[in-house]
Amino acid sequence: MIRFISRRLAQTVLLLFGISVVLFLLAEAVPGDYFSEAQLNPNISANTLQALRSQYGLDRPLVVRYGYWLASVARGDMGYSLAYNQPVSQLLFPRLGNTLLLAVPALLTCWVLALVLGVLLAGYGGKWSERVFSLGSSALLATPDVLLALLALLIAARTRLFPAGGMHSLATADSGRLSSARDLAWHLFLPGCVFILSSLAPIVRHVHAEMKEVLQTPHVRAAEGHGISRLRVLFRYALPAAANPLVSLFGVSVGLMFSVVLVVEIVLGWPGLGPMLLEAILARDMFVTIGGVLLSALMLVLGNVVADFLLYAIDPRIRVQP
Amino acid sequence: MSAAALRVVYAGSDGRVSVAISSLDFDVGPQETLGILGESGSGKSSLAHALLRLLPGNAKFSADRLCFQNDDLLRFSQTELRRLRGAGIALISQEPALALNPVLTVGRQIEDVLAAHRSRDQRKQSVKSILRDVGLEDTARMMRAYPHQLSGGQRQRAAIAQALVCSPSLLIADEPLSALDVSTQAEVLELLKRVKQERRLAMIFITHNAAVLEGLADRIMVMRQGEVVAMGRFGEISASDDPYVANLISPQKTLAQLAAPAAITASGEPLLQVRGLSKKFVQSRPFSRKSFTITALEDVSFEVAECQSIAIIGRSGSGKSTLARCLAGLEEADSGEIVANRTNGKNNVQMIFQEAGTALNPRFTAEEIIAEPLLIAGKLTPEQRMERVSAVMDDVGFNPEWAGRRAEQFSGGQKQRLALARALVAEPRVLILDEAFSGLDVPAQARMMRLVLELQSRHKLACIHVSHDLNFVSLFAREVLVMDAGRIVERTSPSRLLESQNPVTRAIIEQSESLHAIGLEAVL
Repeated sequence: MIRFISRRLAQTVLLLFGISVVLFLLAEAVPGDYFSEAQLNPNISANTLQALRSQYGLDRPLVVRYGYWLASVARGDMGYSLAYNQPVSQLLFPRLGNTLLLAVPALLTCWVLALVLGVLLAGYGGKWSERVFSLGSSALLATPDVLLALLALLIAARTRLFPAGGMHSLATADSGRLSSARDLAWHLFLPGCVFILSSLAPIVRHVHAEMKEVLQTPHVRAAEGHGISRLRVLFRYALPAAANPLVSLFGVSVGLMFSVVLVVEIVLGWPGLGPMLLEAILARDMFVTIGGVLLSALMLVLGNVVADFLLYAIDPRIRVQP
Repeated sequence: MSAAALRVVYAGSDGRVSVAISSLDFDVGPQETLGILGESGSGKSSLAHALLRLLPGNAKFSADRLCFQNDDLLRFSQTELRRLRGAGIALISQEPALALNPVLTVGRQIEDVLAAHRSRDQRKQSVKSILRDVGLEDTARMMRAYPHQLSGGQRQRAAIAQALVCSPSLLIADEPLSALDVSTQAEVLELLKRVKQERRLAMIFITHNAAVLEGLADRIMVMRQGEVVAMGRFGEISASDDPYVANLISPQKTLAQLAAPAAITASGEPLLQVRGLSKKFVQSRPFSRKSFTITALEDVSFEVAECQSIAIIGRSGSGKSTLARCLAGLEEADSGEIVANRTNGKNNVQMIFQEAGTALNPRFTAEEIIAEPLLIAGKLTPEQRMERVSAVMDDVGFNPEWAGRRAEQFSGGQKQRLALARALVAEPRVLILDEAFSGLDVPAQARMMRLVLELQSRHKLACIHVSHDLNFVSLFAREVLVMDAGRIVERTSPSRLLESQNPVTRAIIEQSESLHAIGLEAVL
């Protein structure tokens, strides 16, 4: 077990290292840097720019810059943002917190919904409900995330039931803990819904398909033959037996969570990593970009680790025998 | 229980309708045992599921009457049916390995049956006592065990415990023995007889092996293609003139007919020589440093010549399948050598696998399956290929009209023929049959055996039959090799087999005889 964990950790570190090298090379290949736009400004002389570049070390060779960056990662700073004038970690981590606050509950809700829906539909669905499901999930699959987010924005603007962006209302900024939590939940609702809707369709389709297959197996039919109730057969006998591929999908969905949440955050103005990453890319604020991408890579790895442990917990055939 | 005009029809996805059971009447009295005998595809399993109203969605069920203990099952609601299943009528399904849920413990699964029918108190206790009852002594360990940690026989016992735990009055056993090896079959049969006595059960016992019904069933119903062909006591049935019934009841008769082509003259030159073959498997578990070694083969030597057959028999785990895989080149031996007589530089060994159905790609047509080895060898033009394919289909007696059908649409026997054709198309000199017929019922086995013997003399093949019991297959071999724990413990011939003093051989013979599954005396 310890060997497994340590091997997994070593793999993760190596992976992140590799990604960072590739990111540095890519960033180098992009023409221009943070100060390129200032060149257009006639009020700033070439000398000033040169001085600024050397002050921030942009004129050094790539390898040297990479070395400095690694040292800064070791300190926990993850480089320095030129646009915000502060260490990247101070920028990223609060934003990461906001993103997780939105994405994690939304993803979990999405999975619970998908499991319940998929299982019940596979177990009780008739011809018509299957058709409606197939149509609905296809439609949802074909709808771009941006459109869903814009739709949510429209609802917010028309009905005024929900805030059209942000995370807190000004009015509740100083009120008690309870009311500010309620305010937060109120702000979370629409982005959360958009996230759920955009991730739900593929997951629920997988659950449904796996369940359909498992329901045909002899052991499920045997369980029914013993008179165990339908609901119990579905959730206790069929679902765990169908779980293996779904757990792997869960790992992937944790990894993909970041790219889905990015769009939602940008359109609905949630102050997470998404909007910041977009700005950083446009401004060529290199270290913020690299930090953001590294975080999402870390998420992907974490998702897979979580999936491995879940698999281990659910399937006795994988577990160690004493 | 009684039923009248029972009918089950399956609607295929392509709109075709196949009749599984057409108008069946029968009744089972209290404490009576009804044996249902029939070839595969005769509608036996559909009957078992129809009685519990557990048919899949594409099946249409109708009956004039279906009564159980004065209750009309046709008028039962889904909830009432659910209460009846397991409590009034219990089912033991065909394959024990597949009938238990792989991710739940045995204790949990038995307890769930209780939970579905009984109130909360005394559950744990009943689970333990039922486990002891079916001969799983180490109850605490059994309750915590997952199905994959149990042997085939233990799994079947657990499945029986699951069926009996709510003390049903009728037990439906759907081929409860067919997936087990012979020694376990005898044990499980003994157990079923005992619980039937002790618990005064009525039983419907479905099988294709008439011999097991002899001491068990009060009456026997013989089925063929969804219809009842004969009904009566074992004695009455076995006196029947109907060739279908006779075939099922006493495969000995079929065997006697078979004995004729067995006289094959062996010629000198060995086609395949095996010298000092050894193989070890090293296994390690995830998250663990420990690894352990399994000796699958140890110093195995033998040879086969043209037109000769040898039989390799042994219990499961004796290394015979590893040997077969080594011979076919699917597995690399650690030491020793396999010398094959290689004419035209081709690999001359072909193998037919244990379960023909799973060794064929279900999406391929019969033609594609047979042509594939030629396609891989890649030396023939498409026309030549087609010619060879139709010649081979003719050889194995495969209806050429079926060439375009997909593998999944064939029955077990037809799939077996298809596998044989695929092996033959590559023009092998040595044919390895790894339990190739064990999934078939006795008449079908006899037909296949006759075919193999014919092909053997026609193409001058050397055959190696691998089997776990004294299947009659082994009786046509020149030499019988008995394996145990990776070694050949005895070399004998079929005629001297019964006098063998070797304990391993004796055990295998006794188990085979106790089931009357073979007709040794009829042939020897």
